[in-house]
Amino acid sequence: MKGHEYRRAGRSALLSISVAVVMGLAFTVIAITSAWAHGEKAQMPFLRMRSVQWYDIVWSKAEVKVGETVEITGKFHLSEFWPDSIGYPKESFLNIGQPGAVFVRKEVFLNGTFVPRAFTLEPGKTYEFKIVLLARRPGDWHVHPVMNIRNGGPLSGPGEYIKVTGDYADFTNTVTTLDGKTFDLETFGLTGIYSWHFLWMAIAAVWVAYWFRRGGFISRCLRVAGSPDVQSADKMISPLDEKIALGFLGGTLLIVMVAFTRTEAALPRALPLQSGLITIAPGDPAMNAPENVLVKYERAIYDVPGRRLVVNLQITNNSNEPVQIGELNTASVRFLNPKVMKDAVKYPDYLLAPEGLSVSDEKPIAPGETRKLSIIAQDALWDTQRLADIYYGTDSSMAGLLVFLGQNGTRHVIEIGGPAVPNYTNIGLLKL
Amino acid sequence: MSYTDVDVPNRRDKVQAAFRSFGEVAAAASVLNWLLLFIFFCVLLGAYHIHTMLLMGDWDFWIDWKDRRYWPTVGPIVTIPFIAAAQFFFWEKFRLPFGATFVVLALLVGEWINRYVNFWGWTWFPVNFCWPTEFIPGALFIDCVLLMSRSYIMTAVIGGLGYALLMYPSNWPILAQFHMPVEKNGLVMTLADLMGFETVRTGTPEYIRLIEKGTLRSFGQDVVPVSSFFAGFVSMVMYLIWHFIGRWFSRTDFIARI
Amino acid sequence: MSTVSGSLADTEHRDAAEQGGGSKLGADVFDWKIIWVPFVAMFAFYSMIRVYEQIYGFSAGLDSFSDEFKTYWLSVLWIELPTLGAAFVGVMAYLWKTRDRDLANVTPREEIRRYFVLMAWLTAYATAVYWGASFFTEQDGTWHQTVVRDTDFTPSHILEFYLSYPIYIIMGCGAFMYAKTRLPFYAKGYSVPFLLFVVGPFMIFPNVGLNEWGHTFWFMEEIFVAPLHWGFVFFGWFALAVFGVSLQILGRLREVIIASGLEAKCSFNEETSPLPAGAPAAAE
Repeated sequence: MKGHEYRRAGRSALLSISVAVVMGLAFTVIAITSAWAHGEKAQMPFLRMRSVQWYDIVWSKAEVKVGETVEITGKFHLSEFWPDSIGYPKESFLNIGQPGAVFVRKEVFLNGTFVPRAFTLEPGKTYEFKIVLLARRPGDWHVHPVMNIRNGGPLSGPGEYIKVTGDYADFTNTVTTLDGKTFDLETFGLTGIYSWHFLWMAIAAVWVAYWFRRGGFISRCLRVAGSPDVQSADKMISPLDEKIALGFLGGTLLIVMVAFTRTEAALPRALPLQSGLITIAPGDPAMNAPENVLVKYERAIYDVPGRRLVVNLQITNNSNEPVQIGELNTASVRFLNPKVMKDAVKYPDYLLAPEGLSVSDEKPIAPGETRKLSIIAQDALWDTQRLADIYYGTDSSMAGLLVFLGQNGTRHVIEIGGPAVPNYTNIGLLKL
Repeated sequence: MSYTDVDVPNRRDKVQAAFRSFGEVAAAASVLNWLLLFIFFCVLLGAYHIHTMLLMGDWDFWIDWKDRRYWPTVGPIVTIPFIAAAQFFFWEKFRLPFGATFVVLALLVGEWINRYVNFWGWTWFPVNFCWPTEFIPGALFIDCVLLMSRSYIMTAVIGGLGYALLMYPSNWPILAQFHMPVEKNGLVMTLADLMGFETVRTGTPEYIRLIEKGTLRSFGQDVVPVSSFFAGFVSMVMYLIWHFIGRWFSRTDFIARI
Repeated sequence: MSTVSGSLADTEHRDAAEQGGGSKLGADVFDWKIIWVPFVAMFAFYSMIRVYEQIYGFSAGLDSFSDEFKTYWLSVLWIELPTLGAAFVGVMAYLWKTRDRDLANVTPREEIRRYFVLMAWLTAYATAVYWGASFFTEQDGTWHQTVVRDTDFTPSHILEFYLSYPIYIIMGCGAFMYAKTRLPFYAKGYSVPFLLFVVGPFMIFPNVGLNEWGHTFWFMEEIFVAPLHWGFVFFGWFALAVFGVSLQILGRLREVIIASGLEAKCSFNEETSPLPAGAPAAAE
């Protein structure tokens, strides 16, 4: 290589190094980014409408500092209209939808039971949960509760932005073992990991380099190819080679044995990984008490051009107060009846249709009365949340939570569900 | 480009030297050695990495998958194939006894770059949560066995078994500390379990962990030796199969038509 | 081989050379530039790609139905697919169009030069295989296990399957085409190991079809060791044909060395072997 070529090579090397440095900076500096939904829109509508009916979700804070906690609480009703294409929820796991390991999951309780592992759910039942997250990475993060179901995949609940301020450098996550030792899990064991790995990599590199220096590939290939027999080629291995190899062999075994026995001696109480399903406590009986408002689902039409779902219902009010329909909640989208839900509802905008629900007969349903009526859930969210595809799925049906409000403030949350027939022209609606 | 475009100094008609001097042959050999080293390293790294990540990746990625039953079983069985193929090639054609160490070192370089730059740098999983499995001691062992025995059968039997048996003890000095017990809300967990719970993987629910769930009862607490020994047995067989696959890929024939 | 005539030009020339005349590799046969330029270019390019991913992966890549996704990710896909398709056709067409139509008369020295160019192709292929099969494939694991898969065209797939894989395919096929059109040894037929070496890893790309088909139908959880992924493994094995390819190149080199009368001198020998293994080689 001539001088200018060296210089050019140097410049290129410099360029690569600069790029690598930029890359390194990118990891740390470009931490403050925002992230939207978590891909739930790709799931077919019936999967989302007929699986986990999330409700009453509350994010305790909208902004936290690194090292502070935030709580997500809420309930979900496991649909009675569980789709065939999702496995029965024998193995389920309450997870978090978040972009990377930005929060540390400190606690997850389901009906008050700590659930760090999988558990069995029962369709038709209602559960309450609490998740405690510890802020780790600064940024503006969209965080969802997610229910993973084996053979069903992740079923996301509603997501909300949580802004994390501060500096990752201040983050610690301490834990005390049963032996009374306290560690920061963020950095725990790193020295051992790096030392052992790089020690062995160095030894391996020395072994490879030793042999590579002994003639490389070309001359050794020539010698083997030119050897009349195997024994002749084997003579390439000198007595010194063998001694060195013996040293590597003995050294390797010695290091492994000594390190292993010392570790065994130092940590006699190492447990195996813990596994197995967790049994969930029954929870508050009121959550699963039979409702005294009865709803019969008669027929539903999804009106494609009007972006609305019209459901004919027969409602019997066996409670002791008049009730009104306040909300339809399906696939975490809340269609509110503004005539009933007068106060502003705190809920992520992208899933809220504040004036999305109307009822053909708004009069309160009196105790003891049975009435037929239609509810109309209409909003552009059918399209933006890709729920309109209900008319284009393999199982054109829906389910959702219908929320009744009693005059005394009692709330009745009842799941409705059944087939939905598409209407492409508006004409069919006349038949309602 | 035809050769006439090339400026060949001192060119003589008809008879033409490939090399101008022995010194030039030596220089060419040196360059080729380096280039071959680089090519072998990168190609074997890529192929071995895609092979291991898709056959044992989950156990290799996460600390809460590194159990006593599956990890020491799957790890050696999945990693021995490339070792057998590379040992055949480097020993048979060059009498270089570094096939195992070479491919395992390449694998670990690839894994470390990824765990650091991507698992940590992109999705922020702590490195102590996603460090790769250590296979180098076993690889050095099996290379030395090949060198000493100069026999593929002996390497398969002694080397394959030793390779598998060495995996768990080589990793234990790193792993053991993560198996210290903690109490969390009345539940006992290892630190590894706790890290698996605390470090959120949205697409990786806990129930997909393929780990020991209390089987192998009849052997009491001695789960690892049984798993490793079984892995050793399969590794011997895999070694022999992959010896022939390495041989098959070392072919130099031509065909007339494709 | 009709073109094998590797003897050092003549006795006096050879003697003169062995006396110390030129212990460097002639610049007419090799220049390190053909090695480091593609290497550095790929390193720089993929580093930039990785930075792009860092910035727009989470911020615009989580919801494939969003406008940001279309802007920052789908547009990348629409740029890279036709560009790389055209690059593939262009490289192959160029190598074929400029093929040596008189391979019987390639001088030994020119042949050696071409072998070094082939080594440069293979070095580029090896580099591209590293980025594709190792770097971008395992980072796809961390992406999937972090987020909910909602499209076949996730940000990491757009960079892995549809960028890094086509690039190594171009390098591999380019290497094959170069050998086939420039080197007498490879022109005589189709080298089986070279075909395996190029076609096997190439098949990883169409195997994406199996992957996406399975993921679309079966599950949305990412078990990396799921049997659905094993097609990638199978085709990855074919990269082991680097063994056969290197043996072919070394075999040809051996023929040249034998023809030069230097076999004994170049072969490994405990006492006398003067061939350096890995000393940094200087080019003139």
